[in-house]
Amino acid sequence: MLPSMLFFLSAILLAPFFAALILKVKAFFAGKKGPPLLIQYYTLIKLFQKGSVYSTSTTFIFKLGPVLSFCCALSALMFLPVAGRPALFAFRGDVILVLYLLALGRFFTIAAAMDTASPFQGMGAAREAYFPIICEAAMFLILILLYVLTSNLQIKAFFQGGQPLLLWHKAGSPLMFVVIALFIILLTENARVPVDDPATHLELTMIHEVMVLDHSGPDLAFIELGSFCKLFFYAGLVARLVWPFETGVPALDLLLFFLALLAVYVAVGVMESVMARYRMDKVPKFVLTSFALAFFAVIVTLELAK
Amino acid sequence: MLVFWVGLLLILLGGVLALLLNRNFMWLKLTAVVLTAAGSLTGLGATLSLLNKAAPATISITYLHLLSLSFKIDGLAAFFLICIFGVALPAVIYSFHYMHRAENPLAVALHYLFFSLLIISMALLVSAADSITFMLFWELMSLSSFFLVIHKHESADNRRAGYLYLAFSQVGAMFLLAAFGLIYGHTGTFGLGNLSGLSQSVRLLIFILAVIGFGSKAGVFPLHVWLPQAHPAAPSPVSAVMSGVMIKTGIYGILRMYALLNLNSPVPGGIMLIAGIITGVLGGVYALGQQDLKRLLAYSSMENIGIILIGLGLGMLGVSAGKPIMAAFGFVGGLLHVLNHAAFKSLLFMAAGMVQHSTGTLSMDALGGLLKKMRLTGIAFLMGSLAIAGLPPFNGFISEFLVYFSGFHGTGLPRHGFVLCLLAIVSLAIISGLALAVFTKALGVAFQGEPRSAAARSATEKGWTMLLPMSALAGLCLFIGLMPKAFIQLAVQAAAGLNPAYGGLPLEPFMELIGQISRFSMLFLMLLILLLALRSQLYQGKTVTKAGTWGCGFTRPNTRMQYTGSSFSASILAFFRPLTKLTEDHPVIRGRFPGATHYLSKVNDLAEMYLRPVIVNPVLALFDKLRWIQHGDVHLYIGYILLTIVVLLFFV
Amino acid sequence: MNYIDTLLSLVLLSILFSFGSSRLPVLIRVIGFQGVVVSGLPLFIGNDHSLGGMAFSLITILIRGLVIPLCIYLIIRRVAIRREVAPIFGHHASMLAWLGLIAAAAFIGNKFTLPVATQNVLLMPTAIALVSGGLFLLMGHRNAIAMVLGYIMMENGIYLVGTTFSSRTHHIVEFGILLDVLAGVMIMAIILQNIKQTFDDVDTDLLQTLKE
Repeated sequence: MLPSMLFFLSAILLAPFFAALILKVKAFFAGKKGPPLLIQYYTLIKLFQKGSVYSTSTTFIFKLGPVLSFCCALSALMFLPVAGRPALFAFRGDVILVLYLLALGRFFTIAAAMDTASPFQGMGAAREAYFPIICEAAMFLILILLYVLTSNLQIKAFFQGGQPLLLWHKAGSPLMFVVIALFIILLTENARVPVDDPATHLELTMIHEVMVLDHSGPDLAFIELGSFCKLFFYAGLVARLVWPFETGVPALDLLLFFLALLAVYVAVGVMESVMARYRMDKVPKFVLTSFALAFFAVIVTLELAK
Repeated sequence: MLVFWVGLLLILLGGVLALLLNRNFMWLKLTAVVLTAAGSLTGLGATLSLLNKAAPATISITYLHLLSLSFKIDGLAAFFLICIFGVALPAVIYSFHYMHRAENPLAVALHYLFFSLLIISMALLVSAADSITFMLFWELMSLSSFFLVIHKHESADNRRAGYLYLAFSQVGAMFLLAAFGLIYGHTGTFGLGNLSGLSQSVRLLIFILAVIGFGSKAGVFPLHVWLPQAHPAAPSPVSAVMSGVMIKTGIYGILRMYALLNLNSPVPGGIMLIAGIITGVLGGVYALGQQDLKRLLAYSSMENIGIILIGLGLGMLGVSAGKPIMAAFGFVGGLLHVLNHAAFKSLLFMAAGMVQHSTGTLSMDALGGLLKKMRLTGIAFLMGSLAIAGLPPFNGFISEFLVYFSGFHGTGLPRHGFVLCLLAIVSLAIISGLALAVFTKALGVAFQGEPRSAAARSATEKGWTMLLPMSALAGLCLFIGLMPKAFIQLAVQAAAGLNPAYGGLPLEPFMELIGQISRFSMLFLMLLILLLALRSQLYQGKTVTKAGTWGCGFTRPNTRMQYTGSSFSASILAFFRPLTKLTEDHPVIRGRFPGATHYLSKVNDLAEMYLRPVIVNPVLALFDKLRWIQHGDVHLYIGYILLTIVVLLFFV
Repeated sequence: MNYIDTLLSLVLLSILFSFGSSRLPVLIRVIGFQGVVVSGLPLFIGNDHSLGGMAFSLITILIRGLVIPLCIYLIIRRVAIRREVAPIFGHHASMLAWLGLIAAAAFIGNKFTLPVATQNVLLMPTAIALVSGGLFLLMGHRNAIAMVLGYIMMENGIYLVGTTFSSRTHHIVEFGILLDVLAGVMIMAIILQNIKQTFDDVDTDLLQTLKE
């Protein structure tokens, strides 16, 4: 229990660092020096020290939203087997709970955005309600695949210890598609390029960033930290699949896991540097690709299972 | 059992006394509400005490050997009775302040009479033990709810909705009669005993007829057309009862039929699953397209019926495949969703009724900002929305979770079973995504932001009898979500009668799983409270100011510039385009100084669209052709009667 | 992990790309990739590792993977057709069609019990998906070049079945077919150039004006 607690806390503490890595990669591609790697910590501390300005249109939901979405992201992290170690919680069906907790966070992000009466935020909220529908369908397809492979429905059975390697052995080629599909879901759910652009704030075309326009001070800090945690959660899952090997030496395993995590974040950064954000009507196509890939992986796995 | 009858008698008394007391509006309402509420409470208590008995309670009444009615309350019936009384109680309390048309006390008195008849007929039909009793109360239920739908019969729209509902319920009853007739023809008895002696094809035919008949009541696509018309027409407490429990009597019927037929084939499961998937997804999509709050809720009922059908279908599939765990989770998930939906849907209809009561409109694009004016209603609506979107820690999540679990168990089935389970899981995911969009839209457009009209600006909430039931139901939604054990036990008891092949259902897998979830939900709430405390600590001594919403540089925003409900849903509806035919009315803007313009959009329901050209018009044409029969001459009519008798004599 | 199955699943995926893309160069690359895999596969399955067989496979790879795509690419350059070819079906419909196609191919593929297919379960589904995918492309495009590409994809599928069914004795037949395809592509190039000169476009809808 104690090591799991430590891993959980370290995940929260490290999440901002990794998020800053993306900025560094982007700066590298642009030929700039970029912000320091601790920039997100500075931002968080700065925000926590500030006060807030609330819109006169808002209600208590606007204040509840940031805390609740942060709480949901934290709860999701409690189920993540960091570096393949046992997570804080694990029980049958926990994956479904985690997905629904993230949905709860989304509900309140949308509700907080609708609270401001701003048309821009409404626009972002509508998109935030739209794309995850496809994402969730894809996610559940992936779950079906993993269930077929392991006959178990908990994160532990997919991502803990030697399980990922076992998955690769059982169904190598489909799992490849699962990794890609999961990566697309990661980009969509965490509002990264090419679905959303976290770098610009004030445009009509944004999703997540426009929804948090009116938040300030500690509330904004909660949102930021929550989104770092959420990104860490997805990246942790992808990293376990990308680097499924176990050396048997705990310290080395830990190091290798963080290297794999680093690779995932760098991949996100590279994506953001080399791609432009899609036009809004192209985004569903992109997200649908992850659904198609997951579906395809399921079919192929069934074929291979024969 | 006696207490149960006392309860029903009290409810009936409430209705009849209301009619007698129609001179005094206050006394009328008070008597009706108090007696009906007391009766519901008594009924609830009686049902709960019956549950603990080992053998199901039975009773039969014979009148002069002409009419014999028999009743039996087993686990399944008791489960639905709890739902019925449980919704009737808050609904009737709510109606005390809701029914405010003092100028027409007779209409209100009639409303209470039919309301009590509706509750009694529902309670008696779920406890009916033979087909005559069942059909009798089924028809009584349909008729009394018809009169409730046309309560405000001055409006032509309401009358049309009522007639449409009546037509659908009678056509549905026709199918039911056919099903019961088949049973009588093959067994020679009206009793609803075990029918496993019948041949497989006959049993399947009976099942399909029953699914069509009951499906028209439950709102299964494409038999749901009456639903979005009747619910907005009826007064809110009636909509709450109709959507909360009356449409579930269709589900009860299907389940009862399934238990009787003892079909050991994957076909019924398949039918239920496909019906559930189509109903659920389309219900979600159409709910998103609505601008009227009650119509939105009506379509969302359809969506939830879809989830229930998926759960029950998975259960049936599990039975036929010999997978007890899958069967148990499917049935219990579906049944628990019946209870959950009864709780949150009646809550949402009550909140919508409060909105209509105080603003006079239900069009979301004319509302907005109600959360500030109607705090309790808003919070209740928020909690109902969270529950209906299936989000933890509310009750909707528990039932959806169980259904998911059953679906995942089903992926081990061979071919068709696997495909069905895959479709079920994916469509459940899509349905819950849609539900989230639907209710963030309803909440965001109607309750949040700034008021879009003068009516919304001056909205207030008053009437404690309206607020109390809403708060209680909202609390119940959270309570079931946090401590679902007792309710799951109820559902397990109800499901135990369904698959006799396994004897009793295993309770342990549920308890272990649900125990984990409810422990985590508690922890989640504690974490939330901790974080909220941290937040208030962080704001200690900071400057917190108020200002307008930042308009991205635009300095003169007005409330009509807010994102409307139609724009919120436009892109999702576009994704489901072939299913959502959009009618738009938008004159082209011309010239340098264009005049006033307007934009009107309506999402067409596929079933509604094709109802007229495919069914209504051909039937009308046929009857047009047969008009010559109606000659107008009495002698000719007597001739018809003679002819009929002669023809019938040949058959007898 | 079975490498052949991985390759084949990539081929299946490439069909998705061909459905989703509206750019001719992408389509050509997809066809080329499929050609390479399809003609290279006999090197790995089957027992015929004679010199003749190897040489045959290598030549096929060259023609399918390089010559034919290059030819078509050159045609595009010469006739200067628009690179963007909008399919008749929308993106979501195509995606759905692809999913249905894959599922159907997997279902039908299981009906055949072939000795080769027992080791490589994806072989038959891939072949069927290629044939029907080619047909879908033919159906879904107005542009003559895209239609030719659809035809070649279909041919890829047929070849995949053919090579695995037949023992290596039928090289001559296979080779004959290949040359036919090549000749077909060449002829098409000439015809297309003529069409282009007459109509200024290669939209097949315009050909309807020739009806009288």
